[in-house]
Amino acid sequence: MKVISQEQLNLWLADLLKQTVVVAPIEKHGKIQYQEINSISQIVWDFTRPELPPRNWVIPMTEPILFIEQGPTTVLKQPDLPHEKILFGLRPCDSRSFKVLDALFWDKEPADPQYARHRQALTLIGLACPEMWDSCFCTVVGGAPDDTEGLDILLTRIDDGFAVQAITEKGQALVSGLDLLQWSGVPADPSEARGLPKLHESAEWAAVFKDVFWKELSHACLSCRVCSFVCPTCRCYDVRDEVIAICPNGKVYERLRAWDTCTSMGYRRIAGGHNPRETQVKRLKNRFYCKFMYYPEDFGVLGCVGCGRCIDACPAGIDILEVVEKVDLKLAQAQI
Amino acid sequence: MTFIEDQIRQTARKYLENDEVSCVIGYERDTRGRSRPVFIESVDQVDRLVWGPDCNLNLASYLHERKHSPGKDQPIPKTAVVLRPCDTRAINLLINEQQVARENVRIIGVTCEGSEINGSLRVDCEFCQERVPPLYDDLILTELPVEVPESADPYADINEMDQWTPEERLAFWTSEFDRCIRCYACRQACPGCYCFECVAEKLDPHWVSIALEVPEKMFFHVMRAYHLAGRCVGCGACEAVCPMDIPLGKLNRKVAKEILELFDYRTGDSIETHPPLVCFNPNERLNL
Amino acid sequence: MSESFEPKIVGFLCNWCSYAGADLAGTSRMSYPQNVRIIRVPCSGRVDPLFVVKTLIDGADGVMVLGCHPGDCHYQQGNYIAQRRYSIMHRLLEFSGLETDRLFVDWVSASEGKKFSEVVTSFTEKVRNIGPNPLRKKAESGIDVLEEVSS
Repeated sequence: MKVISQEQLNLWLADLLKQTVVVAPIEKHGKIQYQEINSISQIVWDFTRPELPPRNWVIPMTEPILFIEQGPTTVLKQPDLPHEKILFGLRPCDSRSFKVLDALFWDKEPADPQYARHRQALTLIGLACPEMWDSCFCTVVGGAPDDTEGLDILLTRIDDGFAVQAITEKGQALVSGLDLLQWSGVPADPSEARGLPKLHESAEWAAVFKDVFWKELSHACLSCRVCSFVCPTCRCYDVRDEVIAICPNGKVYERLRAWDTCTSMGYRRIAGGHNPRETQVKRLKNRFYCKFMYYPEDFGVLGCVGCGRCIDACPAGIDILEVVEKVDLKLAQAQI
Repeated sequence: MTFIEDQIRQTARKYLENDEVSCVIGYERDTRGRSRPVFIESVDQVDRLVWGPDCNLNLASYLHERKHSPGKDQPIPKTAVVLRPCDTRAINLLINEQQVARENVRIIGVTCEGSEINGSLRVDCEFCQERVPPLYDDLILTELPVEVPESADPYADINEMDQWTPEERLAFWTSEFDRCIRCYACRQACPGCYCFECVAEKLDPHWVSIALEVPEKMFFHVMRAYHLAGRCVGCGACEAVCPMDIPLGKLNRKVAKEILELFDYRTGDSIETHPPLVCFNPNERLNL
Repeated sequence: MSESFEPKIVGFLCNWCSYAGADLAGTSRMSYPQNVRIIRVPCSGRVDPLFVVKTLIDGADGVMVLGCHPGDCHYQQGNYIAQRRYSIMHRLLEFSGLETDRLFVDWVSASEGKKFSEVVTSFTEKVRNIGPNPLRKKAESGIDVLEEVSS
């Protein structure tokens, strides 16, 4: 394994920053966030995980995906091509989330054109977690604090610098110009066995669909959108054509895509006012079933990376890990 | 178990044993030691109820889910709720607005020592003179009498902002709203926000773009503050649930201050009084 | 900058008094600035304060709401309610960072053509002095796109 010292890393990043856009964890308003940086000194090195997930860089909170110019003739225009970007300092759970999103938007035809444009422009450099924090449960859903899934390069902090693992060709090309020292050690394993619950296969979840437990769980749910907006793999969106200008010879619309989520009341409302997911319990249950049953069955990957953001953010204290535990318990009881 | 918790549990037990209510809404500790709302429906669960300064939501907002009959010929469920003094004002408001009926609610009012958000005392609590709920069925006492803070200007921070230039205020709110993610947690946690379809989500008329950008967020928050004019009880639930720690209470407190000055009105004083913006007085001439 | 700046002003005028007042100003050949775009509404009580917020968020530089004098409302009470609403909304807008002079509420009767021309003139002047609406950026970016189309 190769190692890079902190000084060498800073120089390298400064060099990259001259050539391209770099996104890294910085502190803003007292919170750690992935943001575009202007200088290396902004980067925060000791953090748990940023407040918001990095999916903003592939599915921005709000983005025009098409401009429609309606005049004597109607012209459709795509927005400008996104700039090449390096996402630096991704936690392994966050980088894994790109794999999850790729499964839906990119891997299978037809790919989502706007997603593909963003995704192609990204290089992902990860920073392994030194430990598993309170609400972390990546090991439950198949990840690890030093997982390389989805990354181009993974850096792991060791005594005097960072161990460098180039995972993809893209990553190898990026580090090939660097003069790195060889290191014979092995980074410590940050995974922890702390009695985390067992996650059941997607097919098994069907058996507890009608359990009364969901109703009890959903009582406290406020039907806000926090859990999904802080989730790195929730990807639902709303699309609307909005007028941006009116002039004598026509109108200009933009087709806006903005984050939306199944936990909010109006998400599933359809023409005529009917709402198939009218009650809290149906909406909340959908979120968990989407992650652990529907998504794996449709796209082959789990819809959860175990970052634990929703556990920390939920104002009503709904805990996804408790749900996993409860399902485990219910299924065990059913077997007896 | 603390002195307060003991009383809350006993009261809840009394209500459930006598079948006076079908559910007691209070707080419990989750496995990580944090407080969260809990819905107690049977006597054997009563010991889950807890109390602490971090119990900072307004549980009155959960009454909206329980204000309708669950099915044909079934009565509206009766509910007991654990509330702080400011929270109980919301009950007065909701009764006045005919959202809940007094006979369907049992108020377990807790003598308040102030609530905390992220470990620090709320601004409103620093100046709050009202430590005993204005409305309750059962009063939960504290072990020692609660110290009422010395009277000071509760709107000092608002007055200070009023002195700023418009540019400074705009810069302040732009930076605050910039990190808003429009998750609507503030709205969902608010007892006064119960529209079936919020202006922010209405399609026809299409009030505001779906974009998550500063003007849209500003519209949302100004709209919400205005719709709560004379209706906000100052419970701070919106600030407590905000994942981005935006000081939303400032907008509401500004409006509450103006309402107090112009109309000498404070929300939730009694069941009878209407919020000033839904009525008028032909003899008044206001400075517009 | 302020010399070339022509503010865009939206005026919500009550049908029974202020709109007739504006008509009178016109038929009496009184002049007033062309910056105001008039929207006729049945009553000042119809003007939900959110109309004002939306107008400002969408890029108007100033908004005026004119209605019947207190006691003269065609619907008896519309302007009393408007009065209470705007007393709060005005202070709230101010608090959220907009200049006090971007919103103007007054009473203009059907016979006050002169007053109408005066209030429009003075309000336009005030808005011209405080400059463009800081929230206007988005609306303007749309206009750029449009110019691209026509060129």
